[in-house]
Amino acid sequence: MFFNSIDFFVFLPIVFGLYWLIGSKRIKEQNFLIAIASYVFYGWWDWRFLSLILFSTLVDYTIGIYLNKTEKLSKRKVLLWISIGVNLGFLGFFKYYNFFIDSLVDSFTFFGKELNINTLNIILPVGISFYTFQTLSYTIDVYNKKLKPTKDFVGFMAFVSFFPQLVAGPIERATNLLPQFSKERSFNYANAVDGLRQVLWGLFKKIVIADNCAKYANIIFNNHTEYNGSTLLLGAFFFAFQIYGDFSGYSDIAIGISRLFGFNLKRNFAFPYFSRDIAEFWRRWHISLSTWFRDYLYIPLGGSRGGTKMKVRNTFIIFVVSGFWHGANWTFIIWGALNALYFLPLLLTNKNRKNTDLVAEGKYLPSIKEFAQMTLTFFLTLLAWVFFRADSVSHAISYLQNLLTSSLFYKVEIFPSTILLLVLFFIITEWFGRSGEYAIEKIDFIKRPIRWAFYITLIILMFSFTGEEQQFIYFQF
Amino acid sequence: MKKFFKNIVLFLLLTICIGEIVVRLTHVNSDIPQRIIDVDGIQKYYPNQEGYWKGGDHKWKINSMGWPGELPESYDNLITIIGDSYIENFMNPNDCHQSSFLKKEMPNHNFFEAARSGVTLIESMEISKQMDTLKPVLTLIHTGDGDIYESIKEIKSLTDITQLNTNTEEIVQGKMKSPGLKKVLYSCKLLYYLYNRFPINLSNETQEDSKKVKIEISKFKTNETKVRVLINYIKNNYRIDDKVFVFKPNSDHNIINIFKSLGFNTILLDPSNDKNWSFDHDPHWTCYGHERVSKQVYNKLKLRYNL
Repeated sequence: MFFNSIDFFVFLPIVFGLYWLIGSKRIKEQNFLIAIASYVFYGWWDWRFLSLILFSTLVDYTIGIYLNKTEKLSKRKVLLWISIGVNLGFLGFFKYYNFFIDSLVDSFTFFGKELNINTLNIILPVGISFYTFQTLSYTIDVYNKKLKPTKDFVGFMAFVSFFPQLVAGPIERATNLLPQFSKERSFNYANAVDGLRQVLWGLFKKIVIADNCAKYANIIFNNHTEYNGSTLLLGAFFFAFQIYGDFSGYSDIAIGISRLFGFNLKRNFAFPYFSRDIAEFWRRWHISLSTWFRDYLYIPLGGSRGGTKMKVRNTFIIFVVSGFWHGANWTFIIWGALNALYFLPLLLTNKNRKNTDLVAEGKYLPSIKEFAQMTLTFFLTLLAWVFFRADSVSHAISYLQNLLTSSLFYKVEIFPSTILLLVLFFIITEWFGRSGEYAIEKIDFIKRPIRWAFYITLIILMFSFTGEEQQFIYFQF
Repeated sequence: MKKFFKNIVLFLLLTICIGEIVVRLTHVNSDIPQRIIDVDGIQKYYPNQEGYWKGGDHKWKINSMGWPGELPESYDNLITIIGDSYIENFMNPNDCHQSSFLKKEMPNHNFFEAARSGVTLIESMEISKQMDTLKPVLTLIHTGDGDIYESIKEIKSLTDITQLNTNTEEIVQGKMKSPGLKKVLYSCKLLYYLYNRFPINLSNETQEDSKKVKIEISKFKTNETKVRVLINYIKNNYRIDDKVFVFKPNSDHNIINIFKSLGFNTILLDPSNDKNWSFDHDPHWTCYGHERVSKQVYNKLKLRYNL
């Protein structure tokens, strides 16, 4: 079930109505309803893969209980590795099996040996990377004694499968989300209205910005040899807004829906395209994944505590692994490595935490320096997005070769002015709303008639610019 | 919670009202004329209605006889043109109708169109019987494979259109399908816009359509006997000497050959050496397409009838 589908617009009010009808005092029943609704939500796509979620839930719940019962380090380690093995085993098989087989066969062919191993026709279960990381965070936190294991199986089931963020995040930490399943959740008017507003903004990002940008990004990327450099740059620009609108739009909808049910999810995007350097970009882009890798991979590897070699190694590891998390393709690995290359100079010169404040805080416009910094950072991310979007490494290289020529200064061959105006409206709205959790969070100070007129305008734009329904990009990860 | 629901309902009502205004002002939907069934059992439109075609570039009008388009200045030397949505032609202004183009070619004749979307061939014949009271010198009946198969009740029973029961050789008059629902849908423009814009189960329909294409290939072989009964019925029950059957491009030659062998006058339209006649996302003819169709019809009529 997609958030932008008619099915979901029927599903959500029913679950919402039942949830609050049960009453905030009956937490267990509410949790049970969330678990059932989440399984229906996921099963709508493919019910067969519900068994995977259920199995992961059972394994991590049981391991959590056993981790609490033993203090013996070796036994605790075994339990932890069972959880990691099971979760990453599923992920590895469904997501990476064919990639490894292909790469192995290619390597043997490169050295002149033929290897006959067939790939399998595997369907990637939607959202497997997200819920796997979420359940892993639970076991690791219990192992590290940062969290007491839960004895409430239904609550844990609801935590793992919580439908607003099940298939595309934000990847919630057990320390943040799980305790919310054992607390009373009362309906709060302001929270619910704020949630709906965030859902509306998320839908606008997805339907108007992402889906319309996708149309042109696809045309340009799929026929890149026919266009000049400036058009290819525009293609990368469209993809940058497609992926941002798509993914941050999904996160906004997920966070907004959670608020309707009285849950608070972590922020996942913080206006990343207004970043002044790559380090800031990575603090603002897919925050839940970046912090997951920081806490569960980068820091255990030693973080930036060791010497320069250690810093470089660890930085490369988390960026490459992060790229690989996105998909079983060399393009994602190169995308990750390229970002590591962008990031390293800042890390090695200790400038990676230079821009931690809000850009041009309290001002309408950025300074020339800030504007130049934001433009340069955005341009660097554009180049990296080419690898992310391309079908293969050779496609990406060919795209960049055609882009970085003198034709970069020619007139663009595709110029969808209406879509570009919508993107401009989007950028302006995001800029003026950048101090909030999401762009239109602080619209509350405006009088109701104007506020409602703005919401209705967004809805009219959504209906007017609904293109072909595009699946959320991050569903495939 | 009460306040929340109250505001949600209020907001939705306001959004619906504003949406309705926007849809009406911008004419994102085509206005749909309302239908009636006349004393002869023919489905036509309420007379003297008018509305906008999608986008609001031009208006369509229903004349006092209940058919789209202008009435002729005189009924002398009359040629009637009967057909489905292609001839009804709401998507183009009046200047782009068959009657308008043919009038330019044959200024001494007058033209009267009687067309409605979805008519079957047998329904066209029933319309022609009614139009014969105007004593036309010639009647052009635009038709195609679909109109012929849909005329036969045993192939697919359709309650809302007139069909022939080929077993009993009886005409089964069409009835109005959900008139109340249609009235609501066409009156509430926003609802109609949403209904058109977001069709439910689109993917299933697409799969069904692809199946249909495969079935079409063997359709003639399967239904040849029934088609022959239909054509014979037309020959025996209607005047055909003053009728010319204009077949849409790509019509089945097997069917046209039966018509020819039974003495029907036929014209097969041929767009093969021409630019595209249809709209990009709509099989109906553009103004250019209509001009080219009228040209081909005129050339054939000139040769056969020396008009």
